[in-house]
Amino acid sequence: MDNAIEIDGLRKRYGKLEALKGISLHVKRGEIFGLLGANGAGKTTLIKILVGASRYDEGSASVLGLNPMKQAQALRHQIGYMPQAPALYEDLSARENVRFFGRVHQIPNFEARVDEVLDFINLRQRENDSVYGFSGGMKQRVSLGCALVHQPNLLLLDEPTAGIDPKLREAFWAHFRELAAQGVTILVSTHQMDEVLHCDRAAVMREGVVLACDTPRGLLSRGSAHIKIWSDTQVLDETVGNYPERLPQLLQRYHLDPSVNRIEVNEDTLEDIVLSLINDKESAHV
Amino acid sequence: MFSQMIAVAVRVLRQLAHDRRFVVLSLAAPFVVIYMLDIFFDSVESPLFRPKEFIVPVAAFIVHFLTYLLCAIVLVRERTAHTLARMFVNGYRRGTIIGGYIIAYSLLATLQSLIVLLALQGFFELNYTLETMLSIYGVIWLLAVISISLGIFVSNFARNEGQVFPFIPLVILPSVFFSGLILPIDRLPDWASWLTYITPLYYATEAIHGFTGEGGNAALWVALPIYGVVVLTLAMFTLREQE
Repeated sequence: MDNAIEIDGLRKRYGKLEALKGISLHVKRGEIFGLLGANGAGKTTLIKILVGASRYDEGSASVLGLNPMKQAQALRHQIGYMPQAPALYEDLSARENVRFFGRVHQIPNFEARVDEVLDFINLRQRENDSVYGFSGGMKQRVSLGCALVHQPNLLLLDEPTAGIDPKLREAFWAHFRELAAQGVTILVSTHQMDEVLHCDRAAVMREGVVLACDTPRGLLSRGSAHIKIWSDTQVLDETVGNYPERLPQLLQRYHLDPSVNRIEVNEDTLEDIVLSLINDKESAHV
Repeated sequence: MFSQMIAVAVRVLRQLAHDRRFVVLSLAAPFVVIYMLDIFFDSVESPLFRPKEFIVPVAAFIVHFLTYLLCAIVLVRERTAHTLARMFVNGYRRGTIIGGYIIAYSLLATLQSLIVLLALQGFFELNYTLETMLSIYGVIWLLAVISISLGIFVSNFARNEGQVFPFIPLVILPSVFFSGLILPIDRLPDWASWLTYITPLYYATEAIHGFTGEGGNAALWVALPIYGVVVLTLAMFTLREQE
């Protein structure tokens, strides 16, 4: 099977609130797949279903070929889960937390593996300090360590970089790329648009619906560019899609006029594109 | 499965070791309460009142109350900190989690029961035989283990610490009023007798009175482990692994 995750028509309700409205997705093995969306988009609900922590009402889900609702126990030794909240024992040390969450798996050379993980999350120097005194970023690192300790085939990370500084974010993404290079599939949710650029593919979610699912390049191509051309006599101001192909046409319209003295191209950022997708969805509701 | 249970128990004990204030308070509290009971009972000037009839079951009640309360709150804290959900996703099973808690808190209850018994001996000069003292200790310890199970069971119905509080009087008040601790149970109306049998303190009080020669029925100590197994089974089935 090429896909690590397959979801078809997944629905989840919390009372009257429909958190997931018939989502269909697939994540290939070895891929870094991003779930992008604002708070309340359904990212956490989806991840909780995939790790077998939550039940779904309709549709189907397959994670590493197993049904996360009915075969959760078989699945749990193959996946690593980092919840949105650090979910750690704050009165225990970093080492004790990693050991406790790793202890449940049959890990050969367990203590050596715990050392390896503590090195990986760069907390070896503080391994015996209680997590209570750690910064938000350090807690996130311990949480990541707990998710990684048993070397899972699939990592599901719920906003792992929320609330951490840019330097640590970069370090996290470097870790994720390193893991992906080793063949680990990573599903990562974020509400920081620029992080999608680190993913192989990403789904943009809003209110329980997938608005778009594409590669970062594919998502960027959905945007447009605002082109302004100044000549001695006039200013041309146009908004075009696919500007690498459209710009030459615009220039031809000017016959490469030597009076053209300045060209400005402002491309939509990923944030603009995602916001426009979300706004389109909103206007469709009105 | 057993190694997972031990892992949970070791983790809980390590947490307790880190939280020394909690341990000291939970061990000192029964001692202080028994001292206050000593002051209270000394002040009751009635020839009909015999403190010895009350004090051992009251001490058992103190352990019951504290253990139940602490365990319920600690388990709910696991839920609100999302560590319970994380344990499940990591592969821990509900049986191993509950078993781990029972092992760890039983050790705390062992110490608590011992302190209670020593405090009783010190303040009230019980003058019981060693065999009677050991029997009382066994009853208090069994009651403490039941209280842990009750705490786990009740915590399954609460999503946060605040929601635990309404359950406290629901479990504790029937123990006070219907277990025979204050009022002889034969004075209760027949229709209310079932309330007596659902309180673990009834069986503990009857057994303690049986062992100390204050009436009662010593053989009823057997009901305590049975009660514990029933509550544990209920706790196991109500602890949900999935939302």
